[in-house]
Amino acid sequence: MTVNTAPAAPIVVATGVRKHYGRLEVLRGVSMTVNRGEVKVVVGPSGSGKSTFLRCLGLLEQIDDGRIVLDAAEVSWLSHGDRRPRERDLARHRSEICMVFQHFNLFPHMTAVENVMVGPVHVRGTPKNRAREEALALLDRVRLAERANHYPHELSGGQQQRVAIARALAMRPKVMLFDEPTSALDAELVREVIDVMEELVRDGMTMIVVSHELRFAHEAADTIVMMADGEIIEEAPPGEFFTAPRHERTRQFLSIVE
Amino acid sequence: MTFDWSIFREALTSRAYAEGALIAIALAALSQASAAVIGLGIALIGRSPLRVLRLVALLWVWLFRAIPTLLQLLFVWNALPQLIPSLREEWFTPFLAAWLTLSINESAYMAEIIRSGLNAVDKGQTLAGKTLGLRSGQVFRLIVLPQMVRVIIPATGNEFISLLKLTALASVISLRELLTVTSQQVAVNFRFAELYGAAAVWYMVIVSVFIVLQAQLERHYQWSSTRRAGIPGLRPQLAGALNR
Repeated sequence: MTVNTAPAAPIVVATGVRKHYGRLEVLRGVSMTVNRGEVKVVVGPSGSGKSTFLRCLGLLEQIDDGRIVLDAAEVSWLSHGDRRPRERDLARHRSEICMVFQHFNLFPHMTAVENVMVGPVHVRGTPKNRAREEALALLDRVRLAERANHYPHELSGGQQQRVAIARALAMRPKVMLFDEPTSALDAELVREVIDVMEELVRDGMTMIVVSHELRFAHEAADTIVMMADGEIIEEAPPGEFFTAPRHERTRQFLSIVE
Repeated sequence: MTFDWSIFREALTSRAYAEGALIAIALAALSQASAAVIGLGIALIGRSPLRVLRLVALLWVWLFRAIPTLLQLLFVWNALPQLIPSLREEWFTPFLAAWLTLSINESAYMAEIIRSGLNAVDKGQTLAGKTLGLRSGQVFRLIVLPQMVRVIIPATGNEFISLLKLTALASVISLRELLTVTSQQVAVNFRFAELYGAAAVWYMVIVSVFIVLQAQLERHYQWSSTRRAGIPGLRPQLAGALNR
């Protein structure tokens, strides 16, 4: 667990977020406040709405009700509302809250360094030379400097996910979202990705992580959030969450996962 | 009558045949290029949230695949000028008529090929582009398009080869392409075997060259760090969207 010395300042505030696909209600009013530098790990059985909630926070899904505030600015828009934001604003907000995906989703036609450069060059307008230098520095930070000119299919899953993390970092996001970042990896590759994520935690990055890696949750999270059936049913620091879960569903879940 | 090699060789190397072949290549290449652009438009319209636009795309593909290409060509050359007076003027040449016909005809097939190519690109690619803050147009141009192109190269190669041979249809509207040239020579000396043979060789050579180019293009789209250089100078223009 990290000790957060900065005063609690909310950077993401989600209130009553609802989302349904057809008649299936996936999120039934989810509220969450994330402070600057806080690391939240979201756990829960599959189908509980964790990933959908994350995609809503990343502005990759429209929500049906509720609101999402990022750094004091409302960024959400409702699917049935009339206040659909301009694409430029939406894109800018998205670039401030970058997501890392379960299946990496690296761009297969670009080398590792090009993957990391594409955002700064085309979204921020960074000159190519500087973007390349910064991308190489980021790849070095995730210990992939010597793989900079390789294409994604030439990298292992763990390496691909580290490039994906560097790609998100290149946008200097205010918040990073991780959607089961190690679930698609072979067991021996999980560690190298977790190591990089733990480094980000030490550097003070604000992170919301959907993960089944309970060891990471134990060591890195400030708060663990338990979701079930489209709702948050329990939220507690790891010590409390693992030793004295209040909710029956949480006890069930922990007994299955551990 | 035996096969006269000197007549064959003379026809094969004649200026008329070379010009006919050049017209065939130009017509096929131009038609393929405009068909790809129109087909992309139709494929995108076909994914529109507006039902009317989707219907337009559906009708377009249905119509131009349903009618024989030869009939479309005759319609454009003979019927359109009756309906549209300005097409009766000098500028509406057989080449233009054939280009128009083949572009539209081929665009229906390209729309289907491009539709399947777009479907083949993983949805996660679009999400990854969006989360970086790229706008829809950028996501399409920088991320979806190059991956779609890779998928459609083999099918498009097929289309180009059949298009090259479809240019021979334009002989019925007196375009001086390879088959017209051949027919005119045959009418003079009735050396069918030699003259048809020479035309066949021209088509075979053109298609062979094209197959080599396609193989180079496919290698270029392998996205490998150890790839040998493909077509010189191609990479910075096509793949290096970042260079802009």
